Amino acid sequence: MTALASGSHRVRLASKRQHMTLTAQVRLVAVLALFGIGVGAILLRLTFIGVFGEQAQAATRSALVDPGRGDIVDRNGVPLARTINGYAIRVVPERLIGDRKVLAGKLAQIFPDTSEERFLKLLSRTKPTYLRHRAVPEEVNRVHALGEVGIEFPREKERFYPQLQLAAHVLGYVHPDGHGVSGMERAMDAELIDPKLRLTPSALSIDIRVQAALEDELGRAMKSYDAKAAAGVVLDVETGEVMAMTSLPSFNPNQFDASSAAFEANQVTYRFFELGSTFKPLTVAAAIDAGTVTDLSRRYDASRPLRVGGFQIRDSHSSGRWLNVPETLVHSSNIVTAQIADELGPERLQAVMRKLHFDRPAEINLRETVKPLWPASWGRLTNMTVGYGHGIAVSPLHLASAYAAMVNGGVYRPATLLKLAPRDVPRGERVFKASTSARMNQLLRMIVRDGTGRKAEAPGFRVGGKTGSAEKPGAGGYKRSSVVATFAAVFPMDAPRFVVLIMIDEPAGNQASSFQRTAGWTAAPVVARLVPRIGPMLGIIPDDRRDVDVSELMPLLWKAPVKAAAKTKSEDPA
Amino acid sequence: MSDLAAPAPAAAPTTTPGGPRAYTLPRNLSRRLGRSDRSQLAIWFWELDRVLLSLILMLIAIGLIAVQAASPATARRLSTATEILSPLYFFYRQLGWVIVGLGFMFVVSMLPKREARRLAIIMASVCLVLLMLVPIFGNTVNGAKRWIGYGIGIQPSEFLKPAFAVTLAWIISLRIKDPTLPVLRLSALLTGVIAFLLMRQPDLGQTIMFIGIWFTLMLLAGLSMQVVAAGVGAGALGMTAAYFFYPVATQRINGWLFGGGEYDQVMFAHKTLTGGGLIGTGPGLGTHKFNLPEAHTDYIFSVIGEEFGLLACAAIALVYFAIIVRVCMRLLDERDLFTILAVTGLTAQLGGQAFINIAVNLQLFPSKGMTLPFISYGGSSMIALSIGAGLLLSLTRRNPFEDRTLLGQDWSRG
Repeated sequence: MTALASGSHRVRLASKRQHMTLTAQVRLVAVLALFGIGVGAILLRLTFIGVFGEQAQAATRSALVDPGRGDIVDRNGVPLARTINGYAIRVVPERLIGDRKVLAGKLAQIFPDTSEERFLKLLSRTKPTYLRHRAVPEEVNRVHALGEVGIEFPREKERFYPQLQLAAHVLGYVHPDGHGVSGMERAMDAELIDPKLRLTPSALSIDIRVQAALEDELGRAMKSYDAKAAAGVVLDVETGEVMAMTSLPSFNPNQFDASSAAFEANQVTYRFFELGSTFKPLTVAAAIDAGTVTDLSRRYDASRPLRVGGFQIRDSHSSGRWLNVPETLVHSSNIVTAQIADELGPERLQAVMRKLHFDRPAEINLRETVKPLWPASWGRLTNMTVGYGHGIAVSPLHLASAYAAMVNGGVYRPATLLKLAPRDVPRGERVFKASTSARMNQLLRMIVRDGTGRKAEAPGFRVGGKTGSAEKPGAGGYKRSSVVATFAAVFPMDAPRFVVLIMIDEPAGNQASSFQRTAGWTAAPVVARLVPRIGPMLGIIPDDRRDVDVSELMPLLWKAPVKAAAKTKSEDPA
Repeated sequence: MSDLAAPAPAAAPTTTPGGPRAYTLPRNLSRRLGRSDRSQLAIWFWELDRVLLSLILMLIAIGLIAVQAASPATARRLSTATEILSPLYFFYRQLGWVIVGLGFMFVVSMLPKREARRLAIIMASVCLVLLMLVPIFGNTVNGAKRWIGYGIGIQPSEFLKPAFAVTLAWIISLRIKDPTLPVLRLSALLTGVIAFLLMRQPDLGQTIMFIGIWFTLMLLAGLSMQVVAAGVGAGALGMTAAYFFYPVATQRINGWLFGGGEYDQVMFAHKTLTGGGLIGTGPGLGTHKFNLPEAHTDYIFSVIGEEFGLLACAAIALVYFAIIVRVCMRLLDERDLFTILAVTGLTAQLGGQAFINIAVNLQLFPSKGMTLPFISYGGSSMIALSIGAGLLLSLTRRNPFEDRTLLGQDWSRG
């Protein structure tokens, strides 16, 4: 009985166990299904976020390296303008917990340039307010250490110019709204913010080493002659690429403020000057090209001032004799140049000036260009004064491009601030015959060897060029004391590669310049110092055995007899 | 109950006639772990659910990559002016914990079923005592008293979880031997005590986990559908009650329902999760993760989303699901009720915690303060999880040559 009972009990237990196991397994399937629903919900949600999420499109890999505005580099890839993640300091007043007055005091200690009252005012606003943009990490750490939860440090895209004031006018700067205000930042604004183009840096034609040398030498000259301003440009004569361009005084585009605004104008492109005697080679070239000057040894009367109507054209340092063409340029005679221009005639001189684009704003990528002061009526007298650079005012860049056309074989090409691939170099427009250009190269070299440009000589670099010292027009005529001293140099003269244009605005003479203000004493020495610095960077190696052959023209220069040599030597370059 | 096949004597060392016994290397090393190998290790290897083991190892590997991605964010957050943590500080620590954890996992997985159960019951008892001691000796972290011990703190509730699942399964399976035992009341009492202790810390997330495990096991044990429905209703009521009477829950549910402020962690988590799109920003390129509190623990899933993309997130969810499916499918031809219950409990605990964490990251649930198993950083939890995985592996071990009948066919045999 017991055995039977226990037997049936065991059978019941066994069946019970099987039943429980089966129930458990059936319900296990239900639990599994629940988890299936769970994973389904998770996958649906992920799909939803991935496909319809607002950030899903914007957040790509490139978004992390995307600067928002493209970098600008020089022709060798040296960064000139970059976009970095800067810090801003922002206060959310409603979340401030400390005493605002105390906090303002502490902030004023960290930022001494802002007063405590000003900070208090900013902290007392109701809306979130920026206390600072472009804060450096050190400052951010100090503010953070104040322990105020109402202050936060959002990251901001900041435009950073690692070369500071170098090439400031070329680069320009960017408004906080993210658009370029001046310089290439303005000219290339569309390309720089284009999402497709901004990932690759834009290369300028500038070589920052040349730029630094130019700014250094020009700044030194400006200081030593106590000049008002100065400008300079280095231009590749074959391509029109600007290797360096500066306008002094300069500014730091990293902190553009009211004091910088006074220097914002780029004097190379945005101001025009009567550039004076530097025009004379252009007039002579036009005359040779037109065939009105066929014989360089022909002499013109420069012994007395030239009367045209009621106007007298005089030389600043009259040689008191008749001069041939090379002597005209070497001694920079206004009287003879006026006669050459007169023989050439207004139409033909005007045509050359137009071909050199003197009648329109300088051709360059910058927006800051100015239309030259083109004579309203081109009469006989105007024609003669334009011949020696008066009565017409152009920007220094105009002149540099014209010189490039004159020395490179006679082809005008627009200047550019973008690095050009060889196939992108424009074909240009022919202005002068190649033979004229070759002749001018000889004459320019002679001016530096034996004329007013002697102080521009840099041994081995075969410098040629022309001085120009134009008196500035003021109330009641030209002012003798305010001069714009210009030197338009080309090197190496045997195979011209670069134009160097130096302009010094109102230099005062000093001991080094024998108290002279004229270009031969002020601007020319800058060229003599600058060319040996930049020549090797630009691939020009000094060589004493090379030079343009001027032997056929040298006999045309009259040399005073030995007795009078001292007098000739002391002749002032003008 | 002992399921381990009697260990066959190890291959006798070769003896040369007349000469001394000389030990020689096995002639063919590849025979090792081969089917003819009769060593303990080989038997363990052949009995083990190797697919399950691979899936768990895969999770641990994913976890190391994820902690490596999240480590710089937390290291930067916790660095002070005087002490700067190395960006990979948490990664190296996690690496250490993983090594220790793997040791625990393999040792526990080698235990016979009976020993494994014994271990779980002892562990549950010890942890329950520790849990009672937490209010007295515990340390307060982030406003909750959950940790015990000095120096290396341990969170008793983490260790209690796997042990609790196995213990509960044991209690319920006792009914087979004696149907008169008040199993329901006993298990409800145990769960209630634990829930009470946890709510005192307070730790709502863990409480829900424990009640969830209990409810799942009761469901499997054949609870009538009326009671199941009542349980679901009670759960909903409990959540509502928590919303009204438990301030942290109120705040979090509000944040979930109505959207948090601009600086809410939920918003930061969402930005981080979606910051990488479908394929992610790439390792180390994430930026939103630096705004995230708890980047290395509760919100590591979002960090994975930013750096490795939403597709990687989906893959991780599928790995967890694969573990659940694998375990459940094997249980369908298991005959031992205890094994079914214990393994389901362990799996439900692992999968439930993972899915709740993922759901919180995806803003499907209000934030809970729950880690992603095997992926989130944490020494205490890594070792607890490894012990749980060890128990899981130990209980799912079985003789691969045993003839098993499918569900339902059992009846025809009588």
